[in-house]
Amino acid sequence: MTRHELESLTKAELMGMARDLGVAGRSRMSKVQLVDALESLVADHGDAESDHVEVVDGFPPINLPGISPQDRARAKARREALTERLAALVDTTRHCPWTSIEGHPCGLPVLVGSDRCGLHTPKTIEDMAVPLAGHLGFGTWPTLWRHLTLATYDIDSFGLDPVVAEMAWHILNGMYYDYFRVEVEGIEHVPMSGGAVLAANHGGAALPYDGAMLALSVLNEAEKPRRVRVIGTEIFNMLPTVSHLYRKVGAAYAARDDARELLNRGHLLGVFPEGERGFMKPVWEAYRVGRLGRGGFAEIAAEADVPIVPVAIIGSEEVHPAVMVSKRLARLVRFFFPDQRVEEIAVALNPVPLPIRWKIRFLPPVMASEDGAPPDALELLERSEDVRHSIQAALDDMLATRRTAF
Amino acid sequence: MAVQNSGYAGPRTLKMCGELGGPTLRGMRKVFVTGAASWTGGHLIRRLETRPDIRVFAVDDATPRVKFSSPFEKLSLERLALARYMLEVEPDAIVHLQSVHRRTEEGRNNDSEERIVGALALFGAIERLDSVKSVIVKSDTAVYGANPRNPSIMSENTRPQGSPTRYQRDLTEMERFVTETANRHDTIRYTILRFAPIFGPQVANPFSRYLTLPMVPTLLGFDPRIQVTHERDAVAALEHALDNDTQGTFNVAADGQLYLSRMLRLGRRLPQPLPRRMFESAMKGLARANIAVPSHIQALLKHGMVSDTTAMRSEFGFEPEWTCRQTTLHAYGLIEEARP
Repeated sequence: MTRHELESLTKAELMGMARDLGVAGRSRMSKVQLVDALESLVADHGDAESDHVEVVDGFPPINLPGISPQDRARAKARREALTERLAALVDTTRHCPWTSIEGHPCGLPVLVGSDRCGLHTPKTIEDMAVPLAGHLGFGTWPTLWRHLTLATYDIDSFGLDPVVAEMAWHILNGMYYDYFRVEVEGIEHVPMSGGAVLAANHGGAALPYDGAMLALSVLNEAEKPRRVRVIGTEIFNMLPTVSHLYRKVGAAYAARDDARELLNRGHLLGVFPEGERGFMKPVWEAYRVGRLGRGGFAEIAAEADVPIVPVAIIGSEEVHPAVMVSKRLARLVRFFFPDQRVEEIAVALNPVPLPIRWKIRFLPPVMASEDGAPPDALELLERSEDVRHSIQAALDDMLATRRTAF
Repeated sequence: MAVQNSGYAGPRTLKMCGELGGPTLRGMRKVFVTGAASWTGGHLIRRLETRPDIRVFAVDDATPRVKFSSPFEKLSLERLALARYMLEVEPDAIVHLQSVHRRTEEGRNNDSEERIVGALALFGAIERLDSVKSVIVKSDTAVYGANPRNPSIMSENTRPQGSPTRYQRDLTEMERFVTETANRHDTIRYTILRFAPIFGPQVANPFSRYLTLPMVPTLLGFDPRIQVTHERDAVAALEHALDNDTQGTFNVAADGQLYLSRMLRLGRRLPQPLPRRMFESAMKGLARANIAVPSHIQALLKHGMVSDTTAMRSEFGFEPEWTCRQTTLHAYGLIEEARP
């Protein structure tokens, strides 16, 4: 069927076709969006071979849960490409001459265009994640562990520990490439220098994987592996073990002062403006972007005069699908932990995250104030609504072309 | 006004002050130092004694740990005698080191009256004196408190979150006295220095006693960011405040910050992570063994705190010599000097 033929059908007929083909998010689409979504799918059916759906060993052209050999091969290729890109940042032929005051030599390879290694070049490491030993891998851990125990380097004021952050990067890459098989679009919209606010939709119910995947997508795919300093609620500050690990990997508490300071230092700030409300969504409300807080992220972006990059993330909602959202459970938690501000708790039934295929789309950056003048409250709310709409449109678009979550 | 409570025998000192304040001392600044018995106080006085333009009058309720030759009066902060002595000395500058009762700092003072009345009397006396030009007060970054809802970096204007500890409340109140006194008298210049915990090989305060235990109980699952000030930098900062005409509140801390686990490993101490209940009973045991870890430090050991020192450099104009890492190594006796 051609586009012209599709356009001649009524919306009800299009909706019926969309239902047969399993187009997600069809109920919220306009007729034009339905035609857009169906066009490629119908064309696919007409062709014997298509780009989107690969017929493998007689399997039906629908992704089943699980990691296929093709996925493994693709993950391996992507890892190799990353290793190659990162290797260009470090000069392994020369070694850092730095010696600590009590006499421990550094010995790590130096950065290209510098005579110091990543750990002892002040300020570079806070913004860019350079592989300290030249590459990522468990083989580098003994060297890294030595620097960790001797504390030969400085942490930044927010608590970023480059060594722990690199270890976490390597471990979470397994999840990024092999398990969630994250695909990234529009990475060129992330600025490669200076601050920016990456505002994304929140989802997940159990664990905030989307924060980690957002940070990893910029680390792994962007031209320069810039750190995304994700900010989260105070609950991360209160939980044992989490409280220091999340600081060590470069995250911070979502206080206005922190966000402002991070942008002033020229870092990328990752925010989920929906907050906990976005997190506590039952699965039937998945990918419906809620109100973006009070538009605080737009205000902070306007103050620092940095662009806002809207980010649409697909996959986070199905990893732990929430079958119910309970207020009673929250009351129970408050009984044992009176200083927690939980109002609702989303309940998922699966203890293991499902192998969902993720997609992250970075949208063109917008400025909070268009003419450079400090925007008023109404303008900020409008801007935050614009960001919300653009994220929602991108989500709908991506959902329309996705056949299954796996 | 309990005169019989006065521990100060008037005439002797009066006469002495009269002599000292005579014509030979014209042009010399008289500096009144409270809390002179502490390590910081003693070393500050010894530094000031080497200078020809300064005459020091020292006061404390304990015997000085560091020997100095300036006149010393053993007067308690909460007695009115201290204020009366100050009225007689007529100092030009006041360095108020024992701003909050020492027992409060160590977490052993539960008497709410005693804690702040000394500061009240002192600032009452300052208001009466016309000679006072500058008031330098040693405060503590504990005024911010350690709280999970605090921002990662506390600047001088950041409003602290959560319910304050007793020490924190007293410090806040004392700082209010200072600013109110200075606001009423525009001839008085005040400098409040909020020091990060002072650490070094010689100083003894609750935090340094805790850090130098052979086996250090820590809270399981928490690894706070710790910022310290080197003991010598603390003395230098106070002297800098005496010499310079800056006014305001400044955080004073060494460059950088360390995680507590890293700090103990640097000092070759064995961290002993304990669950919350066991940690609390360990703290009680330490208090019984005369190594009290007060509640404001226990909060710091859970959530950690880092203060912003940009104002210290730009407005106050002070540059600490030791970094946080060097301070730690020096305190544990692993290095002798800070070298670049």
